[in-house]
Amino acid sequence: MSYESWLNYLRCAEKHSMISGRCRKIHYKFPDGQQMAEEYSMDTGIVQRRAWRKCKQLMGEPEWEIELGETSRQINQCLGGGDADSSINNDFTLVESNTAPALTKRITKKNIEWRIRNLPYPVDVYQVTAEPDKRAIVVRTTNKKYYKVITVPELDRCNLLPSQSNISIHHQYNTLIITYSKPLLLNEMEAQVLLLLKDVETETDMEVLLQGLLAK
Amino acid sequence: MADGDKIEVRDVTRIERIGAHSHIRGLGLDDVLEARAVSQGMVGQKDARRAAGVVVQMVREGKIAGRCILLAGEPSTGKTAIAVGMAQALGTETPFTSMSGSEIYSLEMSKTEALSQALRKSIGVRIKEETEIIEGEVVEIQIDRPATGTGQKIGKVTLKTTEMETNYDLGNKIIECFMKEKIQAGDVITIDKASGKVTKLGRSFTRARDYDATGAQTRFVQCPEGELQKRKEVVHTVTLHEIDVINSRTHGFLALFSGDTGEIKQEIRDQINNKVLEWREEGKAEINPGVLFIDEVHMLDIECFSYLNRALESDMAPVVVMATNRGITRIRGTNYRSPHGIPIDLLDRMIIIRTVPYTEKEIKEILKIRCEEEDCLMHPDALTILTRIATDTSLRYAIQLITTANLVCRRRKATEVTTEDVKKVYSLFLDENRSSQILKEYQDEYMFNEIQEPNDCEVVTKREEAGGGDEQPMEH
Repeated sequence: MSYESWLNYLRCAEKHSMISGRCRKIHYKFPDGQQMAEEYSMDTGIVQRRAWRKCKQLMGEPEWEIELGETSRQINQCLGGGDADSSINNDFTLVESNTAPALTKRITKKNIEWRIRNLPYPVDVYQVTAEPDKRAIVVRTTNKKYYKVITVPELDRCNLLPSQSNISIHHQYNTLIITYSKPLLLNEMEAQVLLLLKDVETETDMEVLLQGLLAK
Repeated sequence: MADGDKIEVRDVTRIERIGAHSHIRGLGLDDVLEARAVSQGMVGQKDARRAAGVVVQMVREGKIAGRCILLAGEPSTGKTAIAVGMAQALGTETPFTSMSGSEIYSLEMSKTEALSQALRKSIGVRIKEETEIIEGEVVEIQIDRPATGTGQKIGKVTLKTTEMETNYDLGNKIIECFMKEKIQAGDVITIDKASGKVTKLGRSFTRARDYDATGAQTRFVQCPEGELQKRKEVVHTVTLHEIDVINSRTHGFLALFSGDTGEIKQEIRDQINNKVLEWREEGKAEINPGVLFIDEVHMLDIECFSYLNRALESDMAPVVVMATNRGITRIRGTNYRSPHGIPIDLLDRMIIIRTVPYTEKEIKEILKIRCEEEDCLMHPDALTILTRIATDTSLRYAIQLITTANLVCRRRKATEVTTEDVKKVYSLFLDENRSSQILKEYQDEYMFNEIQEPNDCEVVTKREEAGGGDEQPMEH
């Protein structure tokens, strides 16, 4: 049971849970000051989003770092675009241009998937390798345009190393999709976590409200 | 004149200019804190420099908080020079805040607020923190300025490592940073994502052959490897004031750049103090106390002095160095007279370093150093004459003559300044003595001469000093 430490870490957290729509949201407050938020789909029991708020020391309130799931993308982020209200969002220091590759991660029942959008190069340019000594999957491009070390926290949590045989890649519509089939141990850990969360009391206000609405 | 115009246009990128004390590179002390006769731009003033060396040692050890040192002496005896020397000797790591006594009189904030901000600017905190930085070689940089000259600038930069390449859009503040650091294609830079600080690490080796000649200080570095965005443990050196500003909710850290910080609540300051002490216990932070230098300290008034009395007792107070050229004079804001225009109770908390007038030999040495600093070749005879002028009038006047004589010399297409040039500028530009002599002689022909000033309290004190030294320095 090598994922025991992760389970213990979750157990010691102060947890709050609520349901909105078809997803259950859980907020963890760990004793070391970190916070984590998760969203589980009520239909499949799969985690859709997970974000961390790690405590920073200097710059006031820390921001949420998204580990899993879609980032909320803003349409009018086009800053170079010029005339479209450029005065509004000008207090940023530096942002990646909207044509830069963007990585998102998703978990399905069988796989962990990463999508890297805005990568227009053909499929034979990419080299995706599992590097156990880095505990990560590394994406390289032969034309030296993109490079990314993708850590897999899920595998870390159950003390597994990424292995090359689980990786498959696919390229379509300017998007590189990396699929990593989940090892059995990881599935087991997820089931255990769900069991743990079953005991967390969910605020039922929402359900009452929903029923009230449905009754009409 | 065309030269002058060019300089104005380039002003955005800040050129190095020669200030009154830019020739000073340290206190000129040896290992056992003995003052060398001429060293690091400092001349003479051995006792004062030795004393300043002891103070520097005290600051470096960082154990003692809230000490106060007064540099007292006649005008142009090197008080500010010693303070600059101390700052240089302490290095860039130790915060050294330099302010003038009259800076606290602002309509935007109260006097004590300005003082406490200055005090807190002088305490550095070294914080170890993991931050996200972007490190890469600049492939292309494009900054669009609106044709009108003012308004929003739009910037884009392409950065690369050995493995990847990404485009970034630049915000307005960071464009300023890029221009200040003169970032161009081929530079290897790091950007701190949170604070937007840009640092130039050097030029990439692959660009080493771009220019035939490079400056001696150009460093060549390898293009970074791996990802552009990295998490790195970095050590920030920030001042307490900066932490205050960042944490005062209404402004956020952008206020640091714009400068309008306004008043900061005492509660915030207390919170920060506690937090910093907490961090220190946890080993995350290190306190790095520095020096606050207040020039022309007689310009502070009685309220500020009593505030300082109290503020210096805090264990978060820096070492305060003050300088004054006043003798026994009125304390500003009262009718009491006191030595140096500072109340006795504050004087009691100070140790006083006295600067003495320079001897003729020392003046010659200083003038020689200034000539070097201003890239001015001077004939020995001219230097002797200039020394003579300096002893008769003042050192500052003589230093001003170096610049002007050099210009006159260049006018006649010579390279070495001769006695003729010095004589010429001596007749062209009056010193204070000659000017006031003329005023006395021809007073009747000037305007408003018939009005007699009834109160001349201030005038009397001025005259007293004039007896002790020479004229009031033209520092402001």
